[in-house]
Amino acid sequence: MDRNRTHRNRRRVLAWMHFFGLFIVMAIICIPGLWIVLNSFRPTVEIMAKPPVWVPSFTLDHYRAMFGGAGEGGVPVFHYFRNSLVVSVTSTVIAILIGMSGGYAFARYKFRFKGGIFVGLMLFRAVPGVALSLPLFIVFARVGIIDTHFGLILVYVAMNVPFTVWLTDGFFRQIPGELHEAAEIDGCTRWQAFWKVEFPVARSGVASAAIFAFLTSWNEFALASQLTRSTGSKTMPVGLLDFTAEFTINWGGMCALAVLMILPALILTFIVQKHLIAGLTFGGVKG
Amino acid sequence: MRRRLPEWFVLLLPAFIVIAAVVLIPLIFSLYSSFTPYKLTRPSTLWRWVGTYNYQKILTDANFWAAFGRTVLFLTIVLNVELLLGLGIALMVNRVTWGQRTLRTILMFPMMFSPILVGFQFKFIFNDNVGLVNNVLQSLGITDMALPWLVDGRLAMFSIVFAEVWMSTSVFAILILAGLFAMPRDPLEAAEVDGCTPWQTFRHITLPFLMPFIYIAMTIRSLDVARAYDIVQIMTGGGPARRTELLWTLMSRTGYVDARMGLANAMGYVSIILSILFTIYFFRKLSAARAEIGLEG
Amino acid sequence: MTEVSLRNVIKRYGTQQAVHGIDLEIENGEFVVLVGPSGCGKSTTLRMIAGLEAISDGEVSIGGRVVNDLPPRERNISMVFQNYALYPHMTVRENLGFSLTIAKRPEDEIVRAVDEAAGILGLDELMDRKPAALSGGQRQRVAMGRAIVRHPDVFLFDEPLSNLDAKLRSQMRVEIKKLHQKVDSTIIYVTHDQVEAMTLADRIVLMRDGRIEQVGTPLQLFEQPVNIFVAGFIGSPPMNQLAGTVEGDAISLGEVYVPIPSSVRGQLSNGQKVIFGFRADNLTPVGHGLREKGETTQLDLRVHLTEPLGTETLLFATLAGAEIQGKMLNPRPVAPGEDLTFNLMLDRCHVFDAATGNAIGRT
Repeated sequence: MDRNRTHRNRRRVLAWMHFFGLFIVMAIICIPGLWIVLNSFRPTVEIMAKPPVWVPSFTLDHYRAMFGGAGEGGVPVFHYFRNSLVVSVTSTVIAILIGMSGGYAFARYKFRFKGGIFVGLMLFRAVPGVALSLPLFIVFARVGIIDTHFGLILVYVAMNVPFTVWLTDGFFRQIPGELHEAAEIDGCTRWQAFWKVEFPVARSGVASAAIFAFLTSWNEFALASQLTRSTGSKTMPVGLLDFTAEFTINWGGMCALAVLMILPALILTFIVQKHLIAGLTFGGVKG
Repeated sequence: MRRRLPEWFVLLLPAFIVIAAVVLIPLIFSLYSSFTPYKLTRPSTLWRWVGTYNYQKILTDANFWAAFGRTVLFLTIVLNVELLLGLGIALMVNRVTWGQRTLRTILMFPMMFSPILVGFQFKFIFNDNVGLVNNVLQSLGITDMALPWLVDGRLAMFSIVFAEVWMSTSVFAILILAGLFAMPRDPLEAAEVDGCTPWQTFRHITLPFLMPFIYIAMTIRSLDVARAYDIVQIMTGGGPARRTELLWTLMSRTGYVDARMGLANAMGYVSIILSILFTIYFFRKLSAARAEIGLEG
Repeated sequence: MTEVSLRNVIKRYGTQQAVHGIDLEIENGEFVVLVGPSGCGKSTTLRMIAGLEAISDGEVSIGGRVVNDLPPRERNISMVFQNYALYPHMTVRENLGFSLTIAKRPEDEIVRAVDEAAGILGLDELMDRKPAALSGGQRQRVAMGRAIVRHPDVFLFDEPLSNLDAKLRSQMRVEIKKLHQKVDSTIIYVTHDQVEAMTLADRIVLMRDGRIEQVGTPLQLFEQPVNIFVAGFIGSPPMNQLAGTVEGDAISLGEVYVPIPSSVRGQLSNGQKVIFGFRADNLTPVGHGLREKGETTQLDLRVHLTEPLGTETLLFATLAGAEIQGKMLNPRPVAPGEDLTFNLMLDRCHVFDAATGNAIGRT
């Protein structure tokens, strides 16, 4: 009986530790984000107050200033938002088309050096953005596509293709090869078999690969900060810097822009979460 | 029969072309310019060949070596901490009986943050004057003076590591969690009946099964370790007094602030090789681990 | 006119040759089963007929037309796959009608053809379900339905029953046979299961290692196997095979001698090494066989294991060091260890040359 009791007690202690640990982890994950959201609604005076004010008041000033457009030193948030959207959406669509065709090749065809080509493709993704930005800056300046949507889209397509290949390879590999064979026997060309059968089946996976690519472009900073200069092409991550002056930072305004940046990302990530994990774990390297 | 390009090649061609145009060609250009004393302000310097001068210069530069060593150390610490924390979190979430979906969703939260945003966020939170951390510490009376989180060299490094770990632990936690879900129940139960302690079960059954998932996470992470650049650039800019200088910040300062492109490109190559080595290493581990538990597609 | 003919068809993968020159003529309306152990090239051969696998050499023609380089869609065939290959994003109705939709047939024709196929296979209740909501047997039926909707010249079946449990399998066998009687098309069917081959085929093509071992009706293969491999593959339980030596007018199987069957007498030379084969049906305890007369010899054997099957009992005994099986009709209980006298029907026995494995007296 005694041993039963010690085991029971130990289990109870473990259960408490488990609960407590999870609570701490979740708090650490959530608080920074919530802090940003909270501060986007607080007046600057309160953010800067010493000693700190713990009971927040509520104001929409930062959002008003943000959407009010260029006032005194105002940040053209609308332009940045539009640039980000145009660049991210366009580059995502193109990257998905290119990446899907590559992923399909890896999933369905056997060829020599397949593993090597796959890893090689991934290695291009591993090139650090800063290191790439130096030569791209020079080359783009020469070609005259620096500070344009087109230039940035091109860069993001190249950046997203390898990972899209990885993900779509995984999704297509989960679809049995018999399926397109059946479609071909049913009278489809290879092209029809893909669009009418394999693509619809892999649709949700492709969608999540697309959202992943979108997020990468949406959030990218290292390259965008060098390849864009003007209001006409700067994206939101670069725009964040507008809130910093030499020695001061407009924390409230920055938080408001941050919220605007996170919202679309937040919504999209919720949609994809399940497929994304599946794609990563099944794709890649072997076969 | 007509000879045509094989289909797989045609399918991969667009990917090859776009990557060649945007990554390969600039890289070749930067390789060339790393052998010149190229300065943005004086374009003619691009045509002067100086051989390995730039490389000799960085190899004898104490600042470079400090940044290099710090980068390797930073990556080692960060990846290990992320792995251990991720593993711990995954195991905890896996044991939860209700609300698991919610927890998983919360776990994904940091993944959607732009690295630059993470940088700003923690620059704000660790701000010595108005930051959350100091506000809390002071209000609770733990310390009465403001801790110089981003000004003191050691504390700044800690803050950066914290921000990086906050951002990227999720990748590990989520993929390891996926591994735990995919894990067959029978071996676990067999081990329990065979008299294994929970630790033994974990060590000899759970962990080997999780290895491929851990390597997938490692590979994905190694693909963009340089994301840390955004964070560091925003939080400290490599300061104070180069105490948080990483390879990437040093490179961008050399290139854009000092305009010494040739030299910066030489550093760029070192950083590229570093990234590639990390990636190849983990890709190898990944295929080995996959083969071991028979997870191949 | 939908006969299928293969002339010296070869499949190479790189330097490896998987199919070594198959010659086969399949008549209109015939049900031909390709059977053999896994890796024998039967599926590859089928896939070459379907157009899913390139033909390395030789010629395949369907209905008198060479189809070597035609894509599958131009061969007017349909195929039932091992894992059914149903389109998971379509309902049963859409699955069935897919080929006609692709061919842009008029709507009312599609509806008619789909309903007809559904009627034949009893799918009417399931038309609006997705494949995921179907049982294995139902999926199998949809796959067959999809094949018959187009009224193809040739049906190809690639191990269609291997994923079903034993009971469903025998049920579907009957349905496939019925289907063949109804649609009257040429059917080429691949399986590794000799029971399926025996029960379904008009003609069996037995393959091994990329070559055809024997072609014939099920009974031909059963009664006149051309070599040891065919003898061992066809029939259940497999044919008993004993190594022996010709000594005068008897075959010595170690300590036991059996007379040389009259059918091969004169075709054996003294001292020749042979394999002596007979089926369990032809080794029966005295009083428990089909017939007692004819060319027989008697053997005394000790039964060490029995397998009662109801109408008959399988008896396991040892003869010349090898395990052999006999059969007892109108069975009575037999205790392990019991000694029984058996009749061996010599005129049903087979003698193979030990060196080549070929049957003697049947070439």
